[in-house]
Amino acid sequence: MKEKKENNKVSTSLFRKRWKKFKSLKRGYYSFLIILTLYLISFILPIFIGRDALIVKYNGEFYFPIFKYQSAESLGQNLQGEANYRLLKKQYQEEGGDNWVFMPIYPYGPNENLLSELEGNPPHPPSSEHWAGTDDRGRDVFARLAYGFNIGLSFSIIVTLFAYFIGISVGGTLGFYGGKIDIFGLRLIEMWSTIPFLYTIIIISSIIQPNFILLTFVLTLFGWIGITYYVRGEFYREKARDYVSAAVSMGAKNKTIIFRHILPNSLTPVISFAPFAIVANIFSLVSLDFLGFGLPPPTPSWGQLMQQGLVNIEYWWLIATPLVSMFLTLLSITFIGEAIREAFDPKVYSRLR
Amino acid sequence: MKPENILEVKDLKVKFPVTGGLFLRKVAEVKAVDGVSFELRKGETLGLVGESGCGKSTIGKAIINILKFSAPDVEITGEVYMRIEDKEVNLLELTRGEIREYRGMIQMIFQDPYSSLNARMSVGQIIEEPMLYHTDLNKKQRTERVSWLLEKVGLQTEQSKRYPHEFSGGQRQRIGIARALSTNPKIIIADEPVSALDVSIQAQVINLLQELQGEFDLSILFIAHDLSVVEHISSRIAVMYLGNIAELGPGERIYHKPIHPYSKALLSAVPLPNPKLKNKERIILKGDVPTPMNKPSGCGFRTRCPIARKECADFIPELEIKEEQHYAACPFV
Repeated sequence: MKEKKENNKVSTSLFRKRWKKFKSLKRGYYSFLIILTLYLISFILPIFIGRDALIVKYNGEFYFPIFKYQSAESLGQNLQGEANYRLLKKQYQEEGGDNWVFMPIYPYGPNENLLSELEGNPPHPPSSEHWAGTDDRGRDVFARLAYGFNIGLSFSIIVTLFAYFIGISVGGTLGFYGGKIDIFGLRLIEMWSTIPFLYTIIIISSIIQPNFILLTFVLTLFGWIGITYYVRGEFYREKARDYVSAAVSMGAKNKTIIFRHILPNSLTPVISFAPFAIVANIFSLVSLDFLGFGLPPPTPSWGQLMQQGLVNIEYWWLIATPLVSMFLTLLSITFIGEAIREAFDPKVYSRLR
Repeated sequence: MKPENILEVKDLKVKFPVTGGLFLRKVAEVKAVDGVSFELRKGETLGLVGESGCGKSTIGKAIINILKFSAPDVEITGEVYMRIEDKEVNLLELTRGEIREYRGMIQMIFQDPYSSLNARMSVGQIIEEPMLYHTDLNKKQRTERVSWLLEKVGLQTEQSKRYPHEFSGGQRQRIGIARALSTNPKIIIADEPVSALDVSIQAQVINLLQELQGEFDLSILFIAHDLSVVEHISSRIAVMYLGNIAELGPGERIYHKPIHPYSKALLSAVPLPNPKLKNKERIILKGDVPTPMNKPSGCGFRTRCPIARKECADFIPELEIKEEQHYAACPFV
């Protein structure tokens, strides 16, 4: 009976084993959970942070401005264009009627000019209403930081995915076919890698206004080279292993050998490097935004905030908040990367626990 | 091809070019196998022994034609005939696509049980894989056959869901054997299947191979460097030195009365398990094995041979019959 139980024990694939190891590395695992949660939340951010009310009850009818544009007039507000829900809320409260407005927890949008509601000149220092103050155009810094997080992380994940797709395809081809393809392919890659990518982007940006797609494209174009060398090396090594010979000797086709045998065994460097590549891409975007060659205004971005902070150095929150956010984000992702690397390390010794 | 043979190797030569310089020109070549001929009879086990680097594994890989995959520049000449039902096929003439349909008939067991199984696949998937290419069994039939094979090699059916890293070396080698048998092959090339295992496990695996040989009607080419292992399993033994066969004959005879001076030296190096019995005479060869990149002229063994003469440098000795069924490549013994 006991023996039977032993046999029925759930068998662990290599991936599951590594996932278990990853989970045991608390620092990386919790960083992963935090970043994942924040990132998922950032997709539904308007529910938590935004200028549009979630629900408005006006004259017995319900409106959902978060999904649908409502003009100020239609809600009884004496304004042109879209309703200002914060003012509307006050107005309803003063009227004391049946109408009410349900706002997000943090009722300020990232691109919203608050000068009409705030006294004095921007930037305004942090307060209980504006947790991280406002920037030089009177926009709420905290909201901009939060929206910038989603944009930055999405951007770098997309770039990493595309770049790795190209890198793995090219590296795999070079490593698998070897010979002349490998020699000439590598020389071409070396030539390509000598193009300085930041300058290229700056040149492109100064000719045409960059947007999300263009920046993704250009960063992908220069971001795939690093992983290519690793995948090529992995393919070279795995190709010479006996299990691949066994697959050849049982009559598997090249396609099967590549996708069923070599590729799954060559992904260790890819997975280990991915978090660090994401970090690097966030950093690239922040740098470009900082230099003014990144995403077009008024896209909320950390780099742009830092640039403002540099110009208005006496307003500390403009530089401190984006720096701290970036530091924490990059640190957490680096922790994740570290734990993944550790989990994929075949040698069993660990200092990260 | 004689009717009792299932595999005939004729004048097999395998050369690996050594490239160098900026444009990877060929600067030298390694003659890993330099004109080898032998035949494998139906149902027998032919042992192929020799020290490391003598080309025995290369022969195995050349026969099942997997050398070109990892070393596309390799030059292979000669003929390898395999009997399939009533046809004779020269395996070396076929392209990789054409040979595919015969792959199920001839399978290999690899030396290193740790690298010969794909770590990402479960044992069931590993054993099932050859069936995907060579049979049209459906999923259920394949799963049944996997369970049956697992039992045949002494593992449990439930273990098909496990992954290779959960098994010991001996168990992994059994999985390798089950995989090789999954398409019902006629010929098995066992490339040092036990040299990576503990001695106690070696015996188990070899006995398993012997049992399965009878049951599956296999002809085995058993490659090894350990004479005592080969003697136990083989009906005939071929002794290789530096890419050539030095001696070929019935196992008993080679083991107890070797003819070729190299076989004699090799046998005298086999340790005796009984300490009371002393080795009669331990022949210690002088020098090292010459590199196959720069082989001596004439007989490859002459630089270390205790009975070498001047003439040995002039011609390459061919296997000649010495006794019944017993050949040696030396005219002076």
